[in-house]
Amino acid sequence: MKNRLIGTSVPRKEAFDKVTGRARYVDDVSFPGMIYGTTVRSKVARGRLRGIALGPGIPWDEFVVVTAKDIPGINAIHLINDDQPCLADGVINHPEEPVVLLAHPDKHLLEKARQAVVLDIDELPAVHSIEDALAKTAVVWGEDNIFKRYTIEKGDIAEAFANADVILEGHYETGAQEQLYIENNGVIASYSEEAGVTIWGSLQCPYYIQKALIPLFGVGPERARVIQLETGGGFGGKEEYPSMIASHAALLAKKAGVPVKIIYDRAEDMAATTKRHPSRTVVRAAVMRDGTVVGLDIDFAIDGGAYSTLSQVVLSRGLIHAAGPYSCPNVHILGRAVATNSPPHGAFRGFGAPQSIFALERHLDEIGKYLGIAPDEIRRRNFVKPGQTLATGQVVRDDVDMNVLLDRALEAAGWGDKKARFAVENREEGSVKRGIGLATFLHGTGFTGSGEKFLASIVGVEATADGHVRVLAASTEIGQGTNTIFAQIAGDALGVDYDVIQVGQPDTAFVPNSGPTVASRTCTIVGKLVETAALGLRQTLLGSGLLEEPYSSEQFVKACSAYVARSGELRAYAEYKQPPYIKWDEDTFKGDAYGAYSWAVYVASVKVDTLTYEATVEDFVALQEVGKVIHPTLAAGQIEGGVAQGIGWALYENVVWKNGRMANDRMTDYIMPTSVDLPPIRALFAESPYSYGPSGAKGIGELPMDGPGPAIVNAILDAVGIGIPRIPATPEVVMEAYLANTSVTRVCRATEVARG
Amino acid sequence: MKPFAYSRETGLDHALARGKEDGVRYLAGGTTLIDLMRLGVEEPSTVVDLRALPLRDIKADGDGVQIGALATNTEVAYHPLIAKAYPVLSEALLSGASPQLRNMASVGGNLLQRTRCSYFRDPSSPCNKRMAGSGCPALDGYNRSNAILGVSSSCIATHPSDMAVALLALDAVVHVRGGGGERAVPMGDFHVAPGSTPAVETALQKGEIITHVTVPASPFAQRSHYVKVRDRASYAFALSSAAVALDVSGGVVKSARVVLGGVATKPWRATEAEAELVGKPPTSMSFDAAGAAAVRGAVPRTHNAFKVELAKRTVARALRDLVGKA
Repeated sequence: MKNRLIGTSVPRKEAFDKVTGRARYVDDVSFPGMIYGTTVRSKVARGRLRGIALGPGIPWDEFVVVTAKDIPGINAIHLINDDQPCLADGVINHPEEPVVLLAHPDKHLLEKARQAVVLDIDELPAVHSIEDALAKTAVVWGEDNIFKRYTIEKGDIAEAFANADVILEGHYETGAQEQLYIENNGVIASYSEEAGVTIWGSLQCPYYIQKALIPLFGVGPERARVIQLETGGGFGGKEEYPSMIASHAALLAKKAGVPVKIIYDRAEDMAATTKRHPSRTVVRAAVMRDGTVVGLDIDFAIDGGAYSTLSQVVLSRGLIHAAGPYSCPNVHILGRAVATNSPPHGAFRGFGAPQSIFALERHLDEIGKYLGIAPDEIRRRNFVKPGQTLATGQVVRDDVDMNVLLDRALEAAGWGDKKARFAVENREEGSVKRGIGLATFLHGTGFTGSGEKFLASIVGVEATADGHVRVLAASTEIGQGTNTIFAQIAGDALGVDYDVIQVGQPDTAFVPNSGPTVASRTCTIVGKLVETAALGLRQTLLGSGLLEEPYSSEQFVKACSAYVARSGELRAYAEYKQPPYIKWDEDTFKGDAYGAYSWAVYVASVKVDTLTYEATVEDFVALQEVGKVIHPTLAAGQIEGGVAQGIGWALYENVVWKNGRMANDRMTDYIMPTSVDLPPIRALFAESPYSYGPSGAKGIGELPMDGPGPAIVNAILDAVGIGIPRIPATPEVVMEAYLANTSVTRVCRATEVARG
Repeated sequence: MKPFAYSRETGLDHALARGKEDGVRYLAGGTTLIDLMRLGVEEPSTVVDLRALPLRDIKADGDGVQIGALATNTEVAYHPLIAKAYPVLSEALLSGASPQLRNMASVGGNLLQRTRCSYFRDPSSPCNKRMAGSGCPALDGYNRSNAILGVSSSCIATHPSDMAVALLALDAVVHVRGGGGERAVPMGDFHVAPGSTPAVETALQKGEIITHVTVPASPFAQRSHYVKVRDRASYAFALSSAAVALDVSGGVVKSARVVLGGVATKPWRATEAEAELVGKPPTSMSFDAAGAAAVRGAVPRTHNAFKVELAKRTVARALRDLVGKA
C-alpha cells in the first residue's frame, strides 16, 4: 500500500458545501407541520418540586405540555449510572434542570409561555464547591457526594518521602470552561407508532442518543433512529448532552403528533449544558537536590455537577495523565469526582487531562524555582524513556525521546535568546514585563484501558452502483476533518483517487456503530478500521476477476460498478481488535492505559502589564509527536484551534458561578479570545509511526488543550516572579496574586527533610 | 422576535410626526435596537427607519466640527477633520466594537446606546430600568461589568459607550429636534445618572431626534487621548477607560479634561481629577493624584471592586501616554 493521499492536504470533503452555504445545519431544516419546543428549567439549585402552575395570560390549550408523567419508559438519560432524569420529577438537583417541556408553532408566544410557568420548589441546602462536597456540608448525591474514587499506586511512596531532600506541596485549581461551538445545540424529532422516534441534529455520537432513547421510550433500536446533520463544532459539548435535548424533542413530538424542533439560544446553551470539569489538585513532590522527583503524591478532585454522567471517565483520564511523561518511580494518585449542585459537567476536549497536567506542570516550575534549576532542565532530569514505566506501570513502547522534542521546541521558540533579552528588559522601567514558559506532556489515544475492547467498533465500506466507495461509520464530521481523513485513508488502501471515496451520512439506520466521536480516537482507532475494511473490499474485488493489479482509478470504478451490477452489493466490514500487548486492570488502574500516546512540548511567551495586570500571549510554539500526520493543514488546524482554546482557558474564559448557575451566560461577559488576542501559533510535528494506527497515526484532537494552561502560567512566573495557582489567570487573579506577592512559599510549601 | 411593522422616512418632519405614535422605535444603525429586539427587551410595534434622512454630513463648523447623527462610527473616526484635531474621539471610536459594527453604528445611536448589564438584557430577570420597581439583581449578583460611580440603590448599570466619553471630554453639544423645535444639550447634561428613575437615561424627550453633534475648538482638543482597558483586544466593552485632554503652556497645565468610561452609569467627568492637574507641571506625581481623585466616592461591589484601582491606573496611564506622545 502506497500513500498518495495520506500526508497531503487534499480539499476537505464538505468544504464546498460549507463555503457556498449549501451545507444544511439543523436550523436550516424544516418539516411540514413542524412546531417549536422549549424547556422550562429550575431557577434553584436544589429542592423539592411541589407543583407546576401554568400562569395566566397564555392560551395554554394551544400548547403541548410535557412533564415527567408523559415519559413512556424510564425517566433517565441512559449513560453510565442512569442517575440523571430526563425531566425532574419531585427532586431538583441543579439550576437549569429541565422540568417542563412546551411546544407551539409560534416561537415568540412559546417564550412568553416559558416565562409564565411557575415551579413551586421548596429549597434544600446545596453544595457549590469541591471542598464543600468533600466536607459533606450537605449530602447531595449517594452517601458521601463522591461519584467515583480511583487510585494509582506505583513503588513505595512512604519510603520516597522519607528519603527525599525536600518535599514541596502545591495547590492548583482550574475553572470550568464552555465549549463554545459556533452552532448551539439543536435537534428535530419526529414520532410515529410505526417508525418510532427519529432524531435529526447537531451531535457527535448518534449511537449514544439511540441508546438513550431506547429505555426512555421502551422501544427497540429499530424504532430509535438518529441522523447527524452538518454540525458546527462539538469539542465534547455534543458528546452526551444531545441525548438530553433529543429526548426532550422526542417526547414533545410524540405528544404533539408533529415534528418538533428545539434550538437553544446562546444563553440557554451556556447556562444549561455541560462544561469542562472544574478541578483542584494538591501535588506533593518528594525531590532530590538535583531535581530528580523521587515521589509524587497527588490528590486530584473534579467537580462533576449534580449527576454522574461521564465524570468517572473524565476522572480516570485525568488521573492517568496526572503524573505526566516522567519516570517517577514512586507514585500515589487519589482521584475523586464529586457531586455539587450545578448542571453536570461533561466532555470537553482533553477530558480531565488538561486539569491534572496543569497542576503537575505548574508544580515542576515551582520545584525548579525552589531548587534553582531551570524549567527545561528539571524536566530533562525526570523524562520517561522507552522501556521505562509510566504511573500505571505501563511500559513506554513509543519510540520517543522527550529530550530531542524539548531541544527542537526550545530552538523554535528562541528560548535562550528570549530568556537573556527578557532578563535585561524586565529590569528597565516600564510596566510591561515579559517571560517564557513551557509544559511537557503526553496524551493517550482512544478510550482508556479496556474501553476500546468493550466498544468493539465496526466500520463498513460499500461500493455504490456508479462504482464509488462509500465509508459507513457513525464517526461524525464536526469540523475537525473526519470525512476528509477517512477518504484519504480509504483511498490509499484501495489505491484510488480521493474523488472515488464518499463518506456516508451518520444515520443509525444505515451505518454500523464505529463508536463515539471522542477521545482522540477517530483517526487512529476508526481510521484503522476504515483502512482494514477498504482492504477487505479490495480483496473481494481482486478475487472476483473483475479487477487486476495494477489498476487505475477508472478501472477500479468500472470494476466496482460491474460487481454491484452482477452481485447486487459489495460491502466489507472491519471490527476493532485490541493490540495483543494491552493488559489493563480496571480495579487497580495498572497496566496499559492507552495503546499509544502522543507526546508534546509547548512553549509560550507572554507579556504582563503590571499596571492593568493583563497577561497576553505573544508567541506560541506547539511541537508534538503524533505518529503520522495524515493531513498537514487539518492537523495544524487542530493544534492551532486547540491552543487557542487552551489560551482561552488559561487567561480569558471565566465561568462565574452564583448558587450553582453560570452567572455570565453570554458572550459579552464570558470572554473568549478573538484572533487579535492570539499570538502566532506555530504547530510543529514529529512522526514516529504507531503500528496500530493508519499509516502510523496517533490521536491529536485533545492534545493541544493540555499544554497552553501551564506553559502560559509558567511564563507569567518567569515574567514577574509570581506563581499563579489557578486559571483562568484573569487580570483580577493576577492582581490578587501580585498584591499578595505570591511566591514559592505561598503557592507551594517546601519542607526540608531532616536527616538523622 | 415579536413581529413588527417597518417604515422608512426620508424627511425629518415626517419622521418626527411618527415618533408621537405609541410603540414606535427609531432605527439608525440598528446595532443596539435589533439586539434588544431579539432578546425581547425592546418589543416595538413599529420600527421607523431614519437612515434615509440627510443627517450624515461631517463638516467644519466655525473653528469646530459638526457631525451628523447618522454618520457612522467609521466615517467619524477616519474623517480628516476629526482624526487630526480630535484624536481622543477618533481613538475612542476605533477602540469600540468591531469594524463590522462600526460600519453600521451611528453617532446618534451610539449616544443612545443601552447598557450591557446582563440583568437588563434578560427579560426574565427583574430590572428597575426595564420595569420600574422590579428590583436590581445586579446589586448583589454578578456585577463585574457594573458601575462604581454615579450609582444608586436602583441601578448600577454601566454606560457602555466609548464615543460619548470622548465627546464629553471635548465639551461637545448634542443638537436635537422635536415638536417644539430645536434645542442644544451640552454633553454634560445629555446623559443622566439613574437615581430613582433608571429608565430615564438621557435628556432626550419622547418624539425628539438627534440631528447632529457639534464639537468646538478648544486649546486642549488636539492634545487628547483615549485609553481603554478591556478583557480582550477587540470586540469588548471597557472595564475602565479614560478620555484625557491637556492644555499645557509654560510647563504648566492650564486646563484639563478627565472623563471616565466603563466604570460609571454615564460618561463620567472627573472634575476633582482635573483640579489636581491644573496649575501644576504635568508629572507622574500629579497624574497619580488625578487618578486617585477620579475615583473618589466610588462604590465597589463584590465582583467589580478591582475597578477602583483599575480606573485610577487608567487615568494615570492615559495622562502619561498623552504627555509621552506630545
